[in-house]
Amino acid sequence: MKNLYAKLGFIVAVVALFTFFALPVKEKIKLGLDLKGGMHLVLKVQTDDAIKIVTDQAVLQMEEEMKKAGVKYDRVDRSGYDKVVVNNYDLEKERDMETIVKENFSDWTSSSSNGKYVLTIKPNVALQIRDQAVEQAKETIRNRIDQFGVSEPVIQRQGIGGTSDSLLVQLPGVEDPQRVKNLIRNTAVLELKLVQDGPVGTKEALLSKYNNVIPEGTEIVRGSAGREEQGFYLVKKVSAITGADLKDASVGKDEYGSPAVNFRLKSEGSRKFYKVTSENQGQRLAIILDGIVESAPSINAAISDSGIIQGHFTYDQAKDLSLTLRSGSLPASILYMEERTIGPSLGADSIRTGLRAMVAALLLVIIFMLVYYKVSGLNAVVALILNTIITMGALAYFRATLTLPGIAGLILSIGMAVDANVLIFERIREDLRAGKSVKSAIDDGFKKAFVTIFDSNLTTVISAIFLFQFGSGPIKGFAVTLIIGIAASMFTACYVSKVIFELDMSLRKKVNTLSI
Amino acid sequence: MEFFKDTHYKFLKIKYWAFALSFLIIAGGVVSLIVKGGFRMGVDFQGGTLVQLSFSQETPINQLRDKLGNLDLGSSTIQKMGGKGHEYVIRTQATGSSKQAVESMDNPGEVAQKIVDVLRDDEEKRQIAAGKLDLNLAEPSVVKNLLLSLNGGDEAKAAAAAEKVLEIKKGNSGLLKTIDQVPVSLAGVSMSKLREKAFIGRTAIQRTEVVGSQVGKDLRRRATLATIWALAGMMIYIACRFQIVYGIAAVLPLAHDVLVTLAFISFFNYEISLTVIAALLTIVGYSVNDTIVIFDRIRDNIKKYGTKMDFEDMLNLSINETLSRTIITALTVFMTVLCLYLFGGEVIKDFSFTMLVGVISGSYSTIYQSCAWVGIWEKHKQKRKEKAKLEAAQKMASEKTLPKKAEEAVAPVAPKAEAKPKAKPKAGKKK
Repeated sequence: MKNLYAKLGFIVAVVALFTFFALPVKEKIKLGLDLKGGMHLVLKVQTDDAIKIVTDQAVLQMEEEMKKAGVKYDRVDRSGYDKVVVNNYDLEKERDMETIVKENFSDWTSSSSNGKYVLTIKPNVALQIRDQAVEQAKETIRNRIDQFGVSEPVIQRQGIGGTSDSLLVQLPGVEDPQRVKNLIRNTAVLELKLVQDGPVGTKEALLSKYNNVIPEGTEIVRGSAGREEQGFYLVKKVSAITGADLKDASVGKDEYGSPAVNFRLKSEGSRKFYKVTSENQGQRLAIILDGIVESAPSINAAISDSGIIQGHFTYDQAKDLSLTLRSGSLPASILYMEERTIGPSLGADSIRTGLRAMVAALLLVIIFMLVYYKVSGLNAVVALILNTIITMGALAYFRATLTLPGIAGLILSIGMAVDANVLIFERIREDLRAGKSVKSAIDDGFKKAFVTIFDSNLTTVISAIFLFQFGSGPIKGFAVTLIIGIAASMFTACYVSKVIFELDMSLRKKVNTLSI
Repeated sequence: MEFFKDTHYKFLKIKYWAFALSFLIIAGGVVSLIVKGGFRMGVDFQGGTLVQLSFSQETPINQLRDKLGNLDLGSSTIQKMGGKGHEYVIRTQATGSSKQAVESMDNPGEVAQKIVDVLRDDEEKRQIAAGKLDLNLAEPSVVKNLLLSLNGGDEAKAAAAAEKVLEIKKGNSGLLKTIDQVPVSLAGVSMSKLREKAFIGRTAIQRTEVVGSQVGKDLRRRATLATIWALAGMMIYIACRFQIVYGIAAVLPLAHDVLVTLAFISFFNYEISLTVIAALLTIVGYSVNDTIVIFDRIRDNIKKYGTKMDFEDMLNLSINETLSRTIITALTVFMTVLCLYLFGGEVIKDFSFTMLVGVISGSYSTIYQSCAWVGIWEKHKQKRKEKAKLEAAQKMASEKTLPKKAEEAVAPVAPKAEAKPKAKPKAGKKK
């Protein structure tokens, strides 16, 4: 009897614990994207871009070094994304070239033929750059998402051990998918460059002013279309300051009261900015965002530590821009590989229908068990209800995500949980028919059925594990609920049910019959 | 209550009919696949765009189809969703590297927008031409901005009203019914002003899914791997717990279940998606579960009766002894899956349909595939042994005297029960 109380106490404690985990359900159970609404994105970081940037820098450095060493050459170009090509260099200075490469370009392999000197980035270095680019992109995107304010976002690198160049981004509850997508993908490369000429209506017209040759140290950029800035500008190649010099950016208003972005500079940046603005008063400064001139105000006075970006923004655009500037620029452009957006009302519908199906299934099974197994059926029903509570509690405890297929898994595990009870009850019935006493029939029934239950449940768990391994979000949710549901049913059907039978027997004085 | 008390059905007597039935269904599936040109692959596996739209009023599917024809989307399909409301799912395929496919990948929201735009009626087009905003299509932030521009810049009021609009939409398939539902007083905007700037369209976007063809390939590979590994894992487990023959006899029927279910998916035109694969794997788990229960009983009975009983009779006995459990469990699982199918909503209809077919196939295959194959195997083994015995006897006879040979040859006709094979069929290790 004492033993029985201990068992009962244990069961109550377990159930209480899991109830505590699960309550209040609305807060504790994490809903998946398909129920809550939101976005699921898989994006690929174009890591070639990152290598291209490194190669571009190498081109500039090569030019500089060759000038320093007095080696004559025609042109230094980037070829592909990872090659620096020196055209028509002074072949007699081969040795000098070797010294330059040895001293400055240890990350590159060199070769020369037909008057061309080619540097190629080493594969391991390229791999490292790619890896860094993806990591940096991940951090930048995380920053942006955090600042935008999404609760419980998932931002992960995919692939085995997180080595691939694609990122998984899950944003539950996001209601403005388009806006968030732009926010994530905005490379937000900010450059401030001195304007040499422009804007001119077409590129050709601009070029013709310079005999169709772009003057040394300058480049042509496009102005923002459909505004007074449209057209083409000739600007200095070297930036006065870039996004990297920013300390902070925030939404503000320009002199006409329309939304704009205020920025403040880090100390080194403000020194640079002061120098440029004081030396070039009266000239214009192009504010270039992602390669497009947003505005080109004249420099009226020397500025050191702050400025404003005007660009006919709406309030939200200005807010998002300041956010992306704060979070830093992406090291490479981004391509969307997969996108799933579930509207909030569809999610709400799914929860409703899912719950309806679950309640219906539960009721149907309960009625059936009561009719078929009479009083013992009640035992199974108790086990079933406890099973549901424990499963919910476990879901909450493991912070598992409940998805729509997950609800299906819960419903399915109702059917499967009952299976354990059915197996046991059928064994007991057989033994009773064979003339065994109620007590030994119950003992034997549980003992014999347990092996079968264990075996058969394990196979379901095996398939669920592989589903979890290979599946994506919603499917993972299904696998998890199924596994948890089955584990819970082992406890409720094999342990709780038995204790209930024992309790029943201890309460009755004489045990001759069993309602089963 | 008891449905099956002390039954003695000779299940395996009609096993060849059962084989024929299975063969017929699977062959039918193959024919259906050939006729239909393969499975309908979901965007998960094929790559492409899926847009689910809800309309505020009944909209004939033909009308939608005609209008979509104006849009250059490659091959697209429209499917009406059951359930309440007027919802349609429009799918387009990712056609490899075509420019259009790349563009649609690049900006899926735009594809959805394009689809909605082309579906608009004249009245809606007029409203849009007049520069009005469609409140049913606008994202909450856009609604907020509109209200903000109308109420003189009161951020908090605009946000609260936009939130309320979203709430209303959530309760009604993402749609506002009339513009009067917008809480103008909460937003601090006059209704007449709002009417100048906004209108209520008849469409809302419920979900969009865009999967690049590369991702589709990857998902397909992963689904295949998951299925193969799950089957292999189970075979190994059962082979360890029972005998290798039982492992094979348990896993082969799983292939049967998968094939039968796939055949029905093809018959009823459901599409293969990630959730369907999940359902298939669950069926695999469930079917094995069923098989193991009977195998367990066979193992018990082999211990109990040894080889005193004809093997097929023993199989029949085991099936009958566990029949009650098989049926009751199948019934409860079937009931739950049926609830899922009937009440679980449209989004997982393909999942619940797959489960529905699979549960039936799983219970059936336990008896008519797993047990039948074990029976055939054991019989074959027995025959081989008898043949070996017979040959040995013949050899002995021919060694003695030639004329007696004819007499000896009659011996094997004797009833099987008497011809006791020496080696007992071992079933599994003892615990």
